Amino acid sequence: MQKRRKFDKTAFVFIAPAFIFFTLFIIVPTVSSAYYSFTSWDGVSPNVKFIGLANYKEIFTSARFGNALKNTIILTVFISIFENAFALALALIVDNVRWGKNFFRSAFYVPVLVSGIVSGFIWKIMYNYNFGTINTILKDIGMGDFRQDWLGNNKLTLLMIGVVLVWKGAGYYMIIYLASLQSVSPDLIEAAQIDGASPWQRFKSITVPLISGAFTINFTLSLINGLKVFDQINVMTDGGPGFTSETLVYLLYKVGFNEGRQGFGTAVGIMLLFIIIILNTLQQKFLRSREVQM
Amino acid sequence: MSKEKVIRKPVEKIKPGQIVLFAVTILLAILFLYPVFFALISAFKSNGDILKNPIALPTSFYTQNFKDLFAQSDFATAIRHSIFLTVVSELLIVCIVPMAAYGIERRKSKTTSLIYTYFLAGMMIPFHLYMFPLFKEMKMFHIFGNMVGPIVCYISGSIAFGTLLYCSFLKGIPLEIEEAAQIDGCTPFQTFWKVTFPLLGPCTGSMVILNGLGIWNDYLMPYLALPSGKAKTITVEIASFVGQYTARWDIVFAGTVISIVPALIIFCMFQKYFVKGITAGAAKG
Repeated sequence: MQKRRKFDKTAFVFIAPAFIFFTLFIIVPTVSSAYYSFTSWDGVSPNVKFIGLANYKEIFTSARFGNALKNTIILTVFISIFENAFALALALIVDNVRWGKNFFRSAFYVPVLVSGIVSGFIWKIMYNYNFGTINTILKDIGMGDFRQDWLGNNKLTLLMIGVVLVWKGAGYYMIIYLASLQSVSPDLIEAAQIDGASPWQRFKSITVPLISGAFTINFTLSLINGLKVFDQINVMTDGGPGFTSETLVYLLYKVGFNEGRQGFGTAVGIMLLFIIIILNTLQQKFLRSREVQM
Repeated sequence: MSKEKVIRKPVEKIKPGQIVLFAVTILLAILFLYPVFFALISAFKSNGDILKNPIALPTSFYTQNFKDLFAQSDFATAIRHSIFLTVVSELLIVCIVPMAAYGIERRKSKTTSLIYTYFLAGMMIPFHLYMFPLFKEMKMFHIFGNMVGPIVCYISGSIAFGTLLYCSFLKGIPLEIEEAAQIDGCTPFQTFWKVTFPLLGPCTGSMVILNGLGIWNDYLMPYLALPSGKAKTITVEIASFVGQYTARWDIVFAGTVISIVPALIIFCMFQKYFVKGITAGAAKG
């Protein structure tokens, strides 16, 4: 154990640069956005008019915010569930496959390397009605009736964006599950095997409780990342058709940069921060209590 | 870990279940790799060929797309900008962040614990929330519309996760080595740079790689903060092509390949750092 000492000159010199950067370019703008959320700031003019709670009033009454919130929830929940389902399945597969473990782990990770913009573009082309890969394959295997305007169909747009994110994100969470799976002691599994537990029982009663820490982390991370999705929406749909794929982040961006209402935009941002804080608190409270520590 | 398993399971017969699992894995791998493969093959096909049959392989080594890409846009500048932003930000991050972590972890006091919590809280704040006031502030400091702005923001953005990563790694490095250096007359600064920092190598590797990928692939910051009307970064150029050349997918695909290939090469070379960084970051508790 190290003894606690006083905050001395050395500590100050070592920490100061990071502290200054962090405070100046993250905390100061965050705090000032709390202020701007009470103004009708347009982002350009120097005089900022204080309008009290008007932005928040608009948030709670406008249909556009409600719609964006609904879209955000649908997209985020879809992403979190499927990202985790795929990630866990992939981790189990990679952990158990007999040949080429390393190759497969890398293969599933490759989509993580692709930027948001590029992944959005590739899938946009694959989704294309006339020339896209998906419709071409459907036609070739004689299921031409299932061809769709994947991004143009109001009911599908959000989910199709979700598919891209699941594809891109699953590999990342797989790595975390995999590390957790590999830390489960083989002795435990063997002991259960000798006691006559079936593979499913072994998975349910030994593996799942022991990897619940990874589950907590992954679920929280994927929820928070889901809330922040921007690049793919920007390239694939620009929030459309209509407002069907406009999420909170996208609404914030659009009102801020296209409509010159940065005061309102920051108010939306503050709502987003609240949602993230609530999610984090829930994670600490509920999921943590179920974890088993070895 | 895998070694242990090899010892535990000597020669085993191949069960049918393993073959089925292997087949399923291959199928999934194809599914996950296909979109990237699709981009790669499309970059070497003419626009007509892409439209005629998106699945077909290129028939010849067709490089016209790349020539058009560089002829019709200032893509060379965009590449230069992307490299510059990534490299310079990384160099500064690797100076600033481990030092802060060292101060927090090795000079523990109430104040440093508070600072640690303060940094970690930053992980919750989404960039989109504070970007409008941030740009205003950048204009005030005259770092909006040039390369300094994004670099400064990348450094700031890396501090929360970076401190966490370095602090958890520092816990595993024995104090005795540093104490010996101090007895030999090293100042704290020398001790850190000459003794501790080299021992943090794997952590620095993870940090550089994960952060570098984020900066290389970033879109919103360079799009908004670099001067308009000129080439910005690879990602921004690709996004603007998607809008501009709606009929020239071939050119955009050539751009996407230039964006993906460096990341792929780095990944193949430094795989273990990706894995270490992700798992260490997740194990924070």
